[in-house]
Amino acid sequence: MIVRLAWRSIWRNRRRTLITVLSIGFGLGCAIFFIAVAEGVYAQLIREVVRMQAGHITLENPDYREAPAVDLFLRVSVPLRSRIERLPEVEQTKLIVFGQGMARSGSGNIGATLMGVEPSVEQLTSPLAKRIVNGRYLDDDDGPWVVVGSELAQRLNLDLGKKLVLTTNDVAGTLVDTLCRVKGIFETGSVEIDGHFIQTPLSFARRVYGLPENTVTQMGVVLRRPETQQYALQTIKGIVPDPTVAVLPWQEVIPEISSYIKLDRGSNLIFQALLIFLILFTIFNTLLMSVLERQREFAVLLALGTKPGQLRLQLLLESAFLGLMGCTIGLILGGLVSWAVQVWGIDLQSLLEEGFTISGFAVSAKMHARVTPDLLLNTTGLVLGATLFLSLIPMLRATRVSIVDQLR
Amino acid sequence: MKTIVRLQNVTKDYGQGQALTHALRGVNLEIESGEFTAMAGPSGSGKSTLLNIIGGLDRPTSGKVEVDGREIDSLSNTDLGVLRRDRLGFIFQNYNLIPVLTALENAEYVLMLQGMPTGARRDRVREVLQEVGLEGLENRYPRQLSGGQQQRVAIARAIVSEPALVLADEPTANVDSKTGLALLDLMHRLNEEKGVTFFFSTHEEAVMKAARRLLQLEDGVICNDGPNHM
Repeated sequence: MIVRLAWRSIWRNRRRTLITVLSIGFGLGCAIFFIAVAEGVYAQLIREVVRMQAGHITLENPDYREAPAVDLFLRVSVPLRSRIERLPEVEQTKLIVFGQGMARSGSGNIGATLMGVEPSVEQLTSPLAKRIVNGRYLDDDDGPWVVVGSELAQRLNLDLGKKLVLTTNDVAGTLVDTLCRVKGIFETGSVEIDGHFIQTPLSFARRVYGLPENTVTQMGVVLRRPETQQYALQTIKGIVPDPTVAVLPWQEVIPEISSYIKLDRGSNLIFQALLIFLILFTIFNTLLMSVLERQREFAVLLALGTKPGQLRLQLLLESAFLGLMGCTIGLILGGLVSWAVQVWGIDLQSLLEEGFTISGFAVSAKMHARVTPDLLLNTTGLVLGATLFLSLIPMLRATRVSIVDQLR
Repeated sequence: MKTIVRLQNVTKDYGQGQALTHALRGVNLEIESGEFTAMAGPSGSGKSTLLNIIGGLDRPTSGKVEVDGREIDSLSNTDLGVLRRDRLGFIFQNYNLIPVLTALENAEYVLMLQGMPTGARRDRVREVLQEVGLEGLENRYPRQLSGGQQQRVAIARAIVSEPALVLADEPTANVDSKTGLALLDLMHRLNEEKGVTFFFSTHEEAVMKAARRLLQLEDGVICNDGPNHM
């Protein structure tokens, strides 16, 4: 009967209840949507960056992070690579030689990052291979051919087939000039990548840096699902017990992206907290008004012998009903809209300036949300929990009414 | 006859200093089981205060109050609540029904608090509603009932748990005289047929006439107490 009493009590003032329920629903829906879009952008950024660079998990020399240089290379055995590739979480492994150097043409020179890759693997994993705007991407058996960023090509006045000289320090520290030709020009939208990045087949990169066969600076592991990163990391650490090989998550390899996401999540959290605070203020107002209006009724209930605990239970149920109805609406509204944006995306091209980047990495103007059960449950749980928590003050107030004063 | 209420030298003061008001001044009273007692007196004479103290809704400033054999001064608020729930029935001037509960549910509420199983309490409530003349109106909400009908529901709520004492604060004050007499007749019948003990306050002559025992309260003092000769 207390449940019935609570349910009917919230419908005494239909308009106020509807406004409260819709406020909760709208607020929760907005919170879910904004979090989902932000998570979608992070996921897209991580996907693009880790796939273009050294994967979700990177194997490298333990000293490489301190002072990245090609002499801190790694020997990769075929059995080790295939053991890692056989893990169900792993989509692909990629061998990389990362090095610095100078790119020179008849029109000038520019500091560049040279990335030696297996073109056939890159075509399966890296978005860069799909961003060729002129010419073609590399093939495995290509010799001294490179693909360069559009910005770099423009500054060095390069075109397809044109010559380019790479000046690098090899593993022995000797300055080496290597001639190569442009096979393709890519454009990612990132000034840093388009202006300083050069990709070349792995074998040619080894030649440039004087690296022995079967050596790389990194072996990247691309996962099928980023959520499995922690588990895969531990598994791979188990497979590679060698202390001369560091197994690192992408967060340690590309800390600028990880820090950006942490910082952005923090600022989003403040915004979401404000949004939720506003919703909760509405609920608190409704609950308090509802209690203040019914003091006489509570006095009657107490006079009839209702225990204060039973009265508190009634008010808790009233809050729970308001919260549950609002959260259901918010969950459906926020979930559906976010799901639609996950599937179809929103094109923000008109709002974002051309070449929009995060920490130097280009982000697509077409944003996709990312809805997960965790996101839906946590956000809804937070709003529902806060609604119940807020009912404490009205609850205490209701049970402290003076029966005699109210019945006078 | 069992003594349901025993008051010894009960006083009740409100306020302090210059604003000190003596609502009750040394009231001594005994009410036996099965009595049908009216308490008359002008407004401000202390009728409601006395009912509140007997009903455990308020505590006296001094004196001893015993209800159904229990000294209520020594009871905690929780125990007072249990005493009210199990042994007392209340009828208020303004009916004070719960607007979102039907007539049946309003009367059922106290039995629910007592933990009676749903089936048994429904049967009991229907029986009582029939006794107070509300058969067929069980599922109406208070707003769908007349003032007299609402007070009948309040009477049903007060007697449904078969309490030792029903306290009624001017039960006919908000209904017309015809309805008031009908309600009085109902309470009288419940007293005679079911043995329900009633103690009610009033300032209406017709109600006073119906009582078998009449108390006169003035300035917080019982100035007259005895069989009704009106």
